[in-house]
Amino acid sequence: MKRRLKRRDFLRIMGGVSGSTLVSSCGSGNGPKKFISYILPPEEGILPGEATFSPSTCAECPAGCGVSVKIREGWPIKLEGSPGHPVNDGGLCIRGQSSITRLYHPKRIGSPMLRNGSGKVRRISWEKAFSTVSETLDASRASGRTNLFLSGRTTGSLSGLIGMFCGKVGVKRLPEFEVYSHSEGKEANGLLFGERDVPRYRIENADFLLTVGADILETHVSPVSYTRQLSRAKSKEGFRWYHVEPHLSLTGANADRRIVVRPWQEAVFLSFLLRHLMEKGPRRGEFPREISEALPRMSVERVSEATGIPAGTLQEVADRIAHARRPLVIAGGVSTAHPGGLEVAGAACVIQWVTGAVPDLVDFRRRENYESVGTFRDMEDLTARLGGGEVGVLFLSRTNPVFSLPEEVGFRENLKKAKLSVGIGDLPDETMQEVDLFLPLSHSLESWGDVEPRRGIVSLQKPVLKTLHDTLSEGDMLLRLLHGSAGEGTASGYRDFLFDAWRKRFGESGRSAFLEQGYFEEPLPAKRVSLDGKKAASLLKGAQAGMKPGEPVLVLAPSLRTFDGRSRGLPLLSEIPDPLTTISYGRWLSVSPETAAGAGLKERQEVTVSSSSGWSQVLPVKVQPGLPAGVFVACRDFGESPPLRTEKRTGGTIEYIEKVTIGKTGKMAAIPILSGSPSQQGRGLIPDPVHRDEKQHHGRESLYPEHVHKEYRWAMAIDLALCNGCSACVAACYIENNIPVVGKKDHLKGREMSWLRIEPFYGEAGNVDFLPMLCQQCHSAPCETVCPVYAAYHNPEGLNVQVYNRCVGTRYCSNNCPYKVRRFNWFWHRWEKPLNRMLNPELQARGAGVMEKCTFCIQRIRAAKDKAKDGSRTVRSGEVTTACAESCPTGAITFGNLLDPESRVYRLAHSGRAYRVFEGLGTDPSVYYLSGEKGDPGKKSHG
Amino acid sequence: MGTGEVRKTVTLLAVSAYFGVLLLGTVGLWISWHRAGLSPDQPIAFPHTIHVSKLNLPCNFCHIFVDRSKHAGAPPVEKCMSCHRTIATEREEIRKLTRHYEEKKPIEWNRVYSLPEHVYFSHKRHVKAGVDCKNCHGQVGAMEKIRRVSSLKMGWCVSCHRARGAPRDCATCHK
Repeated sequence: MKRRLKRRDFLRIMGGVSGSTLVSSCGSGNGPKKFISYILPPEEGILPGEATFSPSTCAECPAGCGVSVKIREGWPIKLEGSPGHPVNDGGLCIRGQSSITRLYHPKRIGSPMLRNGSGKVRRISWEKAFSTVSETLDASRASGRTNLFLSGRTTGSLSGLIGMFCGKVGVKRLPEFEVYSHSEGKEANGLLFGERDVPRYRIENADFLLTVGADILETHVSPVSYTRQLSRAKSKEGFRWYHVEPHLSLTGANADRRIVVRPWQEAVFLSFLLRHLMEKGPRRGEFPREISEALPRMSVERVSEATGIPAGTLQEVADRIAHARRPLVIAGGVSTAHPGGLEVAGAACVIQWVTGAVPDLVDFRRRENYESVGTFRDMEDLTARLGGGEVGVLFLSRTNPVFSLPEEVGFRENLKKAKLSVGIGDLPDETMQEVDLFLPLSHSLESWGDVEPRRGIVSLQKPVLKTLHDTLSEGDMLLRLLHGSAGEGTASGYRDFLFDAWRKRFGESGRSAFLEQGYFEEPLPAKRVSLDGKKAASLLKGAQAGMKPGEPVLVLAPSLRTFDGRSRGLPLLSEIPDPLTTISYGRWLSVSPETAAGAGLKERQEVTVSSSSGWSQVLPVKVQPGLPAGVFVACRDFGESPPLRTEKRTGGTIEYIEKVTIGKTGKMAAIPILSGSPSQQGRGLIPDPVHRDEKQHHGRESLYPEHVHKEYRWAMAIDLALCNGCSACVAACYIENNIPVVGKKDHLKGREMSWLRIEPFYGEAGNVDFLPMLCQQCHSAPCETVCPVYAAYHNPEGLNVQVYNRCVGTRYCSNNCPYKVRRFNWFWHRWEKPLNRMLNPELQARGAGVMEKCTFCIQRIRAAKDKAKDGSRTVRSGEVTTACAESCPTGAITFGNLLDPESRVYRLAHSGRAYRVFEGLGTDPSVYYLSGEKGDPGKKSHG
Repeated sequence: MGTGEVRKTVTLLAVSAYFGVLLLGTVGLWISWHRAGLSPDQPIAFPHTIHVSKLNLPCNFCHIFVDRSKHAGAPPVEKCMSCHRTIATEREEIRKLTRHYEEKKPIEWNRVYSLPEHVYFSHKRHVKAGVDCKNCHGQVGAMEKIRRVSSLKMGWCVSCHRARGAPRDCATCHK
């Protein structure tokens, strides 16, 4: 019996196997099957298989950076910063790079949706949607209810159109809602200078920069612009940058000197500086009298005691600011988001005034257009109006107050009391899940538009593809609503409306230039502002009051990756780890090493954070070196409705939770912390003079013949004095090279796929160095010699190439790589539709069982060589660059041919600052790192 | 013959018949697919014979991108129509062509030469290096229906690269 069964099983299996082999061998050859003709030949300059570029503007955050959209076969596949653009001049941040995934996001809502009485949503047509809105607008007006329009920060022509729409249809426009409204700074500028807005800071012209809480590298107003300017400032001899903050931010980690201040004591510190400037500063004679009188007399010791800053440091900062020729103070971020924030902002204004920074360094002429942004209090008022049942139609455009406002405000419940809430957005976020009518918004790459991120700087948005779904731009929605209700002969569509507006504003030829270039810089007359001494004096009097939070305190910090939470929905931003903690997925609570040691807290341990008001949340612990004791940090968007309060005078938010207590839950959380150690463990990845000697101990003895490079030897130089860990390069690398997003589960197993990662290394003094680690393209590569199938080999141009379809997945190469930059595909990773449209056709998406790695964007090298060959020449210096280098906002990465003595990379690689990681191993890498003190490149040169 | 032996023979016969049929089927299918792959039917029966041999049109007259881009490109329908608005308009195949043009519907030709996804290949580079179209595509002018004449296997590529002294670095072609 038994034998027979076995034989049958055998036959069954054999039948199955042979059958399936036959089926799977059908349709052999995996190339494209169709060969499709054009109807009309394409325009001159457009070739099949070659990318075209179109100018546009990034809409991921309010900064309005110019981008150049790379298009292949009609599909946008990548965004690059637009060189020469007045805002970002070429760089693009991590969020900007990732914003293309918003266009192809699988969860985008594809048609208008209406919620019925029982709470179910169903698709409706645009006609039905517009008629519903129009009818409700009329009905509300008739019944005496008010119709309201709330949006996120809006500039440019759209702002004008919303104003026109509201005026004609009888809708009241509310102050715009932004979590980071910079209320305190604006209020102080309004009081002291009469300009209630954020000025443009010209960092590149300063010789000493003091930032107080303002996270200029992460989210503050226009981070890429600031970063670019900072790089330019750093290239000047003698420039120094100090940063004062109560916690640890990426910005603080990069300053030449980071000064930790006790929370809420920044105003005392700034008053001390002012007093010093009054007594010893170069302009002490011109000091406004009211201010001299108002300034408190405080000894260094007392200030030191209040602020927690050592007396020596206080004296040093004071001397530096007094002796600098062009000092600039910028206050903002968490340092102004507390009850004494207005005084901090006010003191910064006075310092700006007395040091002569206004108007050259603090420019109100090109102000950042934040004047129409409202405050936290405006949202409380709106909630009250909703609660009173006086709201008819409420438009909520590009804003997510249900998520951003604390539960206690009661926005979510009161939203239901509006007769009709109309959400305008792209992803089904918290607010969109509550509204009655959802109007899906086209992506900025699908629609016409313009933004004016700075006064007089207009940046273009131009469609590069047809809408993927049944969506409309906000301008088109409003115009169609206007036509429906008013029936007036306005422009037929938003495009015509814009073209008309642009012609009026720039003239006929100006408009053509604008459409081609993507931006327009209007000349503006100079703006004179003067300080209101009396108001300044009364503000300064308050500064000494010394507001103190109840310790310990939880700081809700802005997030590099998600801004105020708006970018949470983009999967790539969770895949790329936070550069300070190297945590990719999930939320965490940063705890200082002292506090952790005192309370016996371990990394990944779950704790309950609770406030005295009864709010609590469970978060895993991350021990964060450099964080002062008694201060806990969580990202602003991690809080599940944290008990935020309104600052009484400015209406801004207090981003602190006082008197928090920490309780252990006894559980460990599964949270991927990608870095193995916060320290270099003495390996000298970023060398000190001790480790530099190491290379002497190893000879270069090789069993293999020397590699010969005839025309090219590709190499990279990374300036560690400029790199700030912002991770824009990582995002650019993911998108350029079709690197899969693998998710939390694989991250926990150490199976992340990033070809390029940022490694933070903490020094004993609490300083942080960032090391971008990618394939070092070694000359004597340990990976190549162990490959049994010759998939990893050294090419004649000095690259460690991986032939993907030859790789059999032994993983020997990865085991033998001292830099750990090779990544293995454990699975077939799929790009959920329509994300697959984003894939770069110049590269294959690698399959399961294949090792993959960085090859210096070999597809770009190939394209450049192809172009050079057309001209019978070799690739010129600067003609080809990698995706990481192109995206870098600081310009830290230089790529080029090491055999060309004229090239920049040659010069940098042969400079005294150049070193290579693990040089002692004799791998002879092609990636040169330029060491040097941050902010003082070139000064400290190693031999 | 005992029943055991009969059973044994029957089993043996059955097994070999099963695998024999399977093998035959596989070979048959492979041959027919291979043939079809070499010379698939096209939506419009386009004769290269007339256009190349009789009219002496150069290849890049229709394949307009061949010396400018990676892809040679199928001729834009308008290119066909520039002659066929007046020539041979009564023929069924030309009527099909005209319909495509009027309905603005691209022609979906069946690919004869297709490379796997991991291969980088540029027509422009080969044309500029002086490689004759014939070298890979054969005597197209003699083909009533276009047929693949080369294997497109790596060995075939490399043999020519070797003979002509073209780059043989893997990364030249492997993406």
